[in-house]
Amino acid sequence: MRKMNVRALVLIGVFSAISYLLMLLNFPLPPFPNFLLVDFSDVPALIAALLYGPLAGVLVELLKNVLNYFVVGSPTGVPVGHIANFMAGITFILPTYYVYHKTKSKKGMLAGLATGTAVMALMMSVLNYYVFLPAYTIFLGAPAMSAPETKALVVSAILPFNAVKGVMITIVFMLLFARLSPWLQKQTAVNHV
Amino acid sequence: MMNSMIIGKYVPGNSVIHRMDPRAKLLIIFMYVFIVFLANNSVTYAVLTVFTFGFLALSRIPLSFVIRGLKPIIWIIVFTFLLHVLMTKEGDVLYQIGSFSIYEGGVKQGIFISLRFLLLIIITTLLTLTTTPIEVTDGVEILLAPLKKMRVPVHELALMMSISLRFIPTLMEETEKIMKAQTARGVDFTGGRFSERMKAIVSLLVPLFISSFKRAEELATAMEARGYRGGEGRTKFRQLVWKWTDTAFLAAVLLLAVVLFVLRS
Repeated sequence: MRKMNVRALVLIGVFSAISYLLMLLNFPLPPFPNFLLVDFSDVPALIAALLYGPLAGVLVELLKNVLNYFVVGSPTGVPVGHIANFMAGITFILPTYYVYHKTKSKKGMLAGLATGTAVMALMMSVLNYYVFLPAYTIFLGAPAMSAPETKALVVSAILPFNAVKGVMITIVFMLLFARLSPWLQKQTAVNHV
Repeated sequence: MMNSMIIGKYVPGNSVIHRMDPRAKLLIIFMYVFIVFLANNSVTYAVLTVFTFGFLALSRIPLSFVIRGLKPIIWIIVFTFLLHVLMTKEGDVLYQIGSFSIYEGGVKQGIFISLRFLLLIIITTLLTLTTTPIEVTDGVEILLAPLKKMRVPVHELALMMSISLRFIPTLMEETEKIMKAQTARGVDFTGGRFSERMKAIVSLLVPLFISSFKRAEELATAMEARGYRGGEGRTKFRQLVWKWTDTAFLAAVLLLAVVLFVLRS
């Protein structure tokens, strides 16, 4: 990795702090089990990616989860939930960033967010099925769920939950983007590395 | 509760555990997470429990702090216990209600797993209770230093983390201020329809992003003006000192691993 510019470095630090705070303001969505929580902590990561490139966004996601693990801790000792959150974050922001980057318009952003939502929901279903749910059963010492049971949980809860979460972030981000885009364009023109 | 989650759960003190080098503490936690899985019978669990509570006693943290930290996960522990009691079918039948029976193996397994859980939480909570987040960051930076050879920007990552930790309380205050200002303008953050709530969140985020971007710019300018040029040859204000007690604690944990390995069935 090449040497990072000080401005990008500081901004990533500060945006991770916002992301961390937004992560604490999480809330469950009533029909879904209460270990699935919605928060808007992906929004600062996305803005960091727009300002300083995709790596900046990934770093905000990473630092947010590391901070949360250090300060709040994890019930399983090994941070399975944090790794899951990190994966959800990057599978959402990276597709969004690359699709938006092609057109750099409001429409492009909407298309990007839609792609991000779809990619995140699908990837998280696959990862939960093969990695996270089995990891939870190991670390919680719960009896292993059978394949159809796991599949039922993924299809009935995890897939729709991530889709709804993606849509909520999309709505908030589009409202935000409408107000921030002139400012964002000015900043990227000045600061692009 | 919000406040305790923001500044971490650090309880100031001057015990042996508080004074321990954060590097030693991190290494111990890292080993402990694996060692816990070695225990698999009554004797090994007893040894592990005594050892863990020994650490707790040495830290001189009042038990009430630890219990407060356990509250959010108590239901998970109870749930896993019940799951094992009801699902595991081994050993003699202890109790029978109709077609439902509770087996000895299930109760044993339930107690073991819940205990493992409890011990893991106690030891990780102990780290956050006795170490400031800044100390943890310093410890992680030094422990991960060998990764620099693989071109991982360890110094930059640690710096970003320190900046985040520094800004969390400031931005929290900022968030509260903005929320009050927007409430005064008629924004309702607590209730309202779905679309209203989304708009309320946006009215909070826009000023928050702009002001924190300005803060970041100011800090970057200040750092450049003072000649910040990365981790090369940088000296530290907070020095970590490795003491003999740190080596002793590490040795004790290794000994625990050996004892558990011998006693496990």
